[in-house]
Amino acid sequence: MMLETTFPFGFEASTTFYLVLYVLTWVLHVAFMGYVLAGSFYVAWATVFPGKSLPPRSEQPICELLREWIPFMLSGAITAGVAPLLFVQIIYRQEFYTANLLLGWRWLMVIPVLIVAFYLLYLLKSRAVATWSLAARGITVAGVAGSFLFVAFCWTTNHLLGINRDGWANSYETGTVVAAALPLVLRLLTWVAGVFPVMCLIVAWQLAGRDSMSSSSDTPVSPPARALARMAIGGLLVAVISGTAYATQLPDSVRQHLLGAAGQAWLYAVGAGVVLQVFGWVHMLRQREFCHRTLSVISVASLVTLTGTASLREIVRVSQVDLLSIVQNCRSAADVGGFALFVVCLVLNILLVGVCLLLTRTGLRRQ
Amino acid sequence: MNNIYPVNDYGPLMPGLVMAAVAIFHVFLAQFAVGGGFLLCYFQWLAMTDRNPNARIFIHGYFKILVLISFVLGALTGVGIWFTSIQISAVTIGEMVFNFHWIWAAEWTFFCLEVVAGYCFYRYHDRLTDKACMVLLVLYTFAAWMSLFWINGILSWQLTPGDWVQTGSIVDGFFNPSFWPSLFFRTVVCLTLASLAGCVVVNIIPDLDRDAQTSLINRSAHLMIPMLLMPLLGVWFLFAMPEDSRQWVLGGSPAMMLFFMISVGASVAIGGYAVVGLWMQRLYINGATGTLLILLAFGATAGGEFVREGSRKPYSIRQVVYSNGIRPQDVAELRKTGCVTDDPFPVTFEKTLPNDIVTTGAKVFRRQCAVCHTVEGSNAVVHLTESWDIDQQRMNIAKLQQTKPFMPPFAGTPQELEALVQYVRWVQAGRPAEWLKTLDEQALQQITGWLDDAGTEPAQARRKSASAATREQK
Repeated sequence: MMLETTFPFGFEASTTFYLVLYVLTWVLHVAFMGYVLAGSFYVAWATVFPGKSLPPRSEQPICELLREWIPFMLSGAITAGVAPLLFVQIIYRQEFYTANLLLGWRWLMVIPVLIVAFYLLYLLKSRAVATWSLAARGITVAGVAGSFLFVAFCWTTNHLLGINRDGWANSYETGTVVAAALPLVLRLLTWVAGVFPVMCLIVAWQLAGRDSMSSSSDTPVSPPARALARMAIGGLLVAVISGTAYATQLPDSVRQHLLGAAGQAWLYAVGAGVVLQVFGWVHMLRQREFCHRTLSVISVASLVTLTGTASLREIVRVSQVDLLSIVQNCRSAADVGGFALFVVCLVLNILLVGVCLLLTRTGLRRQ
Repeated sequence: MNNIYPVNDYGPLMPGLVMAAVAIFHVFLAQFAVGGGFLLCYFQWLAMTDRNPNARIFIHGYFKILVLISFVLGALTGVGIWFTSIQISAVTIGEMVFNFHWIWAAEWTFFCLEVVAGYCFYRYHDRLTDKACMVLLVLYTFAAWMSLFWINGILSWQLTPGDWVQTGSIVDGFFNPSFWPSLFFRTVVCLTLASLAGCVVVNIIPDLDRDAQTSLINRSAHLMIPMLLMPLLGVWFLFAMPEDSRQWVLGGSPAMMLFFMISVGASVAIGGYAVVGLWMQRLYINGATGTLLILLAFGATAGGEFVREGSRKPYSIRQVVYSNGIRPQDVAELRKTGCVTDDPFPVTFEKTLPNDIVTTGAKVFRRQCAVCHTVEGSNAVVHLTESWDIDQQRMNIAKLQQTKPFMPPFAGTPQELEALVQYVRWVQAGRPAEWLKTLDEQALQQITGWLDDAGTEPAQARRKSASAATREQK
């Protein structure tokens, strides 16, 4: 019954409500997380393979911008990650906690690894690093990218463990957290590749904003625009291929839900979003410059793609867990007071965040 | 009834210690971040009103450190607490999240404001007007303090749920009896930590002469003056605590009393130095002394947090969940059905165990004891019970809440209790290959009697009902 209409409708109102909140806050988290994960990979690649042109890739605008902004984006990813972390505990309490516990020390390592990555990022921002040898810089950037990949691995494994209830006892007994390597690799690859377009989009907006703020035309615009477009298209294609391959690894019943009433609309949405993004990026590749209108179209398409992918991800999960317990969890949670308080705080803080941004923007413009 | 979660073995390290280490570290950093906001607002005001010519230099240096330490370590250890709590007691954190998820969500909105205001200031303060800087700092401070406000309600609820137990109302739970004293006390701690950090930062900033350093340090020390209120707030908090918890702190538990005294002693030392030396006599302190004072403050925080956590025993959430993750209302049922009957997780070292009785005992240990005890490491059951003979072991565990009032009642069948005793004795005997294969019927009858005597309620509830009965008789 519950997966016989477009997800997340068809559930009780309380379940739909928490699922919607979870998906939306998770999409917000992915925007930041994507910037950090893909950005750190790009910085690592650009540092290790500086290219033959001058200045080297690691000193070109994309890499400089990423080095400058990844620490803040990581703060953003952690902060934005708190909300979905909260809702996932409400909806999938037993699955999430059990997966955490089965991951054991690996899960506890996530925080120290992130701390190390955070400080390495600040180190990369410092001028001293520029004087280091290529090997030393390479190790540093690889350390950052490797740290984020480890965190991504832990989250993917957590998800896969959570939906594999039958394997919990065996996993606990043997300490094996990866039941099958192929689905894990494909799922991980889908996300790692899939966040490149997100990163490219945000970087494009940042560079476009910087161009419009600066009166001089000393920043070469076309190389970053083309590089970002190529990277985004590549990321989208790899994500689509690996995502499709991952779907083939899912049980038939789950695939039926994805292709059936629950997931069909989202599959179309993802497909349309991807196509629109590719067109947008191809357009930018030809134009060789940032166009606000094209970026706006890609942004909307990206939002649709992410929301659709997040919904498909949840369809995969709810198809494999105890649905009744989820409904029960959400029903009881809905009886707990405090939602009005949350709404008031949300509105208040959105306004205050607006004040901060306005103040800063006005101050910078005046200057 | 509870969901049963897998339990991880951290070797000789007691899981509670892992939790305490992360929690103390995070609380210390988070309180520094909150107090840092107040301190920066104060220095921004000094700069804007020309009361201190070096205030701007201080703000620049201090905020950099605040970002590097607090934004990074503070934020991450905050999530770290969540992850660690799940490892230690998924039931407890699940209950906290379930009952206060909207409070947590409200806190999240303030996190967002904190990060945005903080970063806007961090990146652009040298290019913004004084007024804009002040607004950003005030917003940062407001957001940081509000996150303390929200989380304080949830943490204090764990110790004193108050009327929430009857009403289930989020307002009753949040504004519980220890909410206000705890909030004010923590706010003073925040100001103190920020001020102490200020003393260290002044010594790191280059190109400041001794007079400039002294004047900045003395200004920074102004935020430590509220420490004078600490004794009052501390007493208020103590009186807001449940009676039995207060008794642990004030001598009932030597360990807790010791940590309490460490916390009080360190606070007195810092407060005395701050008020007399830095405020009244306007002395200068160097970076080393400042660091030492911060370490002392860390000791005070660690002692205070240990007391706060420990005084909840035998609960992790008073009247809701015991420290081992079992709910009070489930004990009676578990006495009949067993606590490991439905446990789907095997014992990982089952092959090394001699028989099913010992295996069951290992499972019972894992379910009921492993959160606070190890087998042979820290706070080890093997060592705690080695001077008892077998009957004492059986009786003391059966009447656990009476043997040690800060322990929860045993929540399992007589057979499970006997299996636990056999497991402990098997380890004490050096883990021999052969061990008792059948349970002693007479011993089981005795255990049943002891369990019935002890009842299923915790010690303080039993004391209360006994004194009520005495009053009624009179």
